[in-house]
Amino acid sequence: MARTSSDPAVAPRLTPGDLGRLRERIRPAVQERLRSERGAVPARREVLVCAGGACLSCRSGTVAEAFAAAICERGLGERVRVVNVGCMGLCEAGPLVLVSPDGVYYPRLEPEQVPRVVEEHLEGNTPVEELELTWEGPDGEVLRSRDVPFFARQLKIALRNCGVIDPGSLEEYIAMDGYAALARVLHEMEPQEVLDTLKRSGLRGRGGAGFPAGLKWQFVRDAPGGVKYVVCNADEGDPGAFMDRSILEGDPHSVIEAMAIAGRVVGSRNGYVYVRAEYPLAIERLENALEAARSAGLLGEDILGSGFGFDLEIRIGAGAFVCGEETALMHSIEGRRGMPRPRPPFPAQQGLWGKPTLLNNVETWANVPPILLRGAEWYAAIGTRRSTGTKVFALAGDIRNTGLVEVPMGITLNEVVHEIGGGIRTGLPFKAAQSGGPSGGCIPSDRADVPIDYESLQELGSIMGSGGLIIMDSTTCMVELSRFFLDFLVDESCGKCPPCRIGTRVMLNILERITRGEASEDDLDTLESLGHHIRTSSLCGLGQTAPNAVLSTLTHYREEYLAHIRDGKCPAGKCKALLTYTILEEVCNGCGLCARACPASAITGEIKHVHVIDQDLCIHCGACLGACPSDAILAE
Amino acid sequence: MSEQVLERAPAPADLPGFFGAHEPLPREDVDPAIWPFIDRWVATHRGGRERLIPLLHAIQEQLGYLPFPVQEYVAEKLGLSPIQVYGVVSFYHFFTTTPRGRYQLKVCMGTACFVRHAQSIVETLNDVLGIGVGEVTEDRMFSLEQVRCIGACGLAPAMMVNDEVHGNLTRNDVRRLVRRLRAKERKAAAKAAGEADGGTDEQ
Repeated sequence: MARTSSDPAVAPRLTPGDLGRLRERIRPAVQERLRSERGAVPARREVLVCAGGACLSCRSGTVAEAFAAAICERGLGERVRVVNVGCMGLCEAGPLVLVSPDGVYYPRLEPEQVPRVVEEHLEGNTPVEELELTWEGPDGEVLRSRDVPFFARQLKIALRNCGVIDPGSLEEYIAMDGYAALARVLHEMEPQEVLDTLKRSGLRGRGGAGFPAGLKWQFVRDAPGGVKYVVCNADEGDPGAFMDRSILEGDPHSVIEAMAIAGRVVGSRNGYVYVRAEYPLAIERLENALEAARSAGLLGEDILGSGFGFDLEIRIGAGAFVCGEETALMHSIEGRRGMPRPRPPFPAQQGLWGKPTLLNNVETWANVPPILLRGAEWYAAIGTRRSTGTKVFALAGDIRNTGLVEVPMGITLNEVVHEIGGGIRTGLPFKAAQSGGPSGGCIPSDRADVPIDYESLQELGSIMGSGGLIIMDSTTCMVELSRFFLDFLVDESCGKCPPCRIGTRVMLNILERITRGEASEDDLDTLESLGHHIRTSSLCGLGQTAPNAVLSTLTHYREEYLAHIRDGKCPAGKCKALLTYTILEEVCNGCGLCARACPASAITGEIKHVHVIDQDLCIHCGACLGACPSDAILAE
Repeated sequence: MSEQVLERAPAPADLPGFFGAHEPLPREDVDPAIWPFIDRWVATHRGGRERLIPLLHAIQEQLGYLPFPVQEYVAEKLGLSPIQVYGVVSFYHFFTTTPRGRYQLKVCMGTACFVRHAQSIVETLNDVLGIGVGEVTEDRMFSLEQVRCIGACGLAPAMMVNDEVHGNLTRNDVRRLVRRLRAKERKAAAKAAGEADGGTDEQ
């Protein structure tokens, strides 16, 4: 995150007045990035290059370098600046570039295309329409850049700065009202006033269970004891969710500010951010942000001249899904095996090292500063009555626009999938959406008109979870998907309580038998009764939600289970043991790799001639499918 | 390892060392630079048991794995019993007690990757490398793992080669990738051996 340091460095130990002056000075320039003023000839331009995790792995770094080189070559250095920003959300289009103040997005930009953009757009003031992000509107009209529904339909609160500011720049965060909420809490508001605002806003925990955040804060404030802790849960373990990663990578100061506010309100001087080891970039940017905040006096002793002191430490996880559970996470911070314990006592009474502890997830924290600045009523007016505000969803799977979207609660799944997400990428029918990760369940496409909030998802047998939405087309086998989740949970069960340790194993065994076509219909009843027992008798959230994937698919897709059992068929064509493999004569090039890979020696044929599978010898392992370089093997 | 230890251990309950071993485990096989590294780390990080996981991370970054003698040494330095350290090492997937390959291939098995056929990526790698998940090739060049969601769901199916993410993979992509890495290693080996002709014949 190189920063052109023409700005004077942030003066050591800021006061609230400095904060305001800094904001006034830099704000106009950063605000420009939110405008879309096509066709203008501005005095200065900025090229925002997405440096989120996904875009970086599509070599967005090379694109940024290409811009810098081309700008320098054409002598535009005075008028154009390249800024690396956090995740813009549309991962599908990476590397993604935004030219401001024109508001023109260039998707999937190759370094070779950069000189053209520089010449025609930055120098010639004409956006390169051929390369611009476009979308076909409902009436066949062409929508461009910010009018594309993926961007136009979003409302960004938690992600307000992601993709707008340079995550390595404290000044830019301050320019976007950063640390203003902290200043207000320290100098103008009583702690109880902050709590009341949070309660009235209706903000609920974004990590999964949806517990009212204000209430949680109140419990910790009211808990007796001199030493208290504030913890950020950034152990984003749900496969398919990456919003916490994007917030830490794109706007790390928002989490730091919110945690400092909480420190003041509940009476804590120390906090921890528990981040997954799988997110090295998030850890690096958070570390840099912590350093910057400390040297500016926004962390440490006497923050903003208020006499209040607070500091944060990073703790890195080590790859255990169960550590997303709050008591397990705290054991992990203490240097123990991350195993949960019974609650009560809740962490608000006895948490880290037995002290009252306030634990929220990244997205929840990121919502706090805007609520305090703009008021509870503003926030509560967004979303539904019981689920206020917005929710960030990670769209992935068979959807066209994979990426991160932030939308008001109460939006329907259909709107998310078809309008924002752009529908199914394969063109096949939309079959189901899986929400909430391994703890969640499947929402079938015929229920996709239900407004999404905490309660409605629960009624459908799923959960909000952290907001991962995996969209699936008709080639996904629901039995195989349940098996996948159970396999995950068996592996991740910490083993402390028997319902989870043994129950999930037994459920997995049954599911494996179903996918091999060796089960009976009685097994489905066993699955259901086992599921109910595990749900009611497990110690922690992992076990209590473990059967969700199986139970929800059993409710909505029972015929699919029956097809496996009664007819020995996998309707989606996924369960290997139930498939027949044949070699397509017209595609096979006779390389012989399949014959070599076949463990049952069921494939014969001479080199450079079509090979044949002997169905009597075939053990349905699918090894040939993996070995064939020319996709000549048909499995159905 | 455990067999050897059990042989010389009558296993009284109150002894330090793994599984009741009397003497510290032999340390010859471990890179000797690690002992002063641990000493320095412990001296510069104050605190108690909460230092264990950060220290294990630091060691694994240096060595690539956490051999048993090192775990025993860590236990001694932090005032824990070896089994407490081993309990933590074995609990977390990230920690490993066996050396990995120079190229660690971690295929993402998150839901998004699963839905987009990540299994075929694993199968192709099994086939190309001749190793299963959790194994290392004989030349220590490649090790293969399945990991839970690397947060690159937009690029599914994805895998990490050391710290680098490769996305939107097909079976042919991974075959090519392995070939390229092998060729790179051969080139490097040839250079190291002083053989000037850099003819890298591909398969």
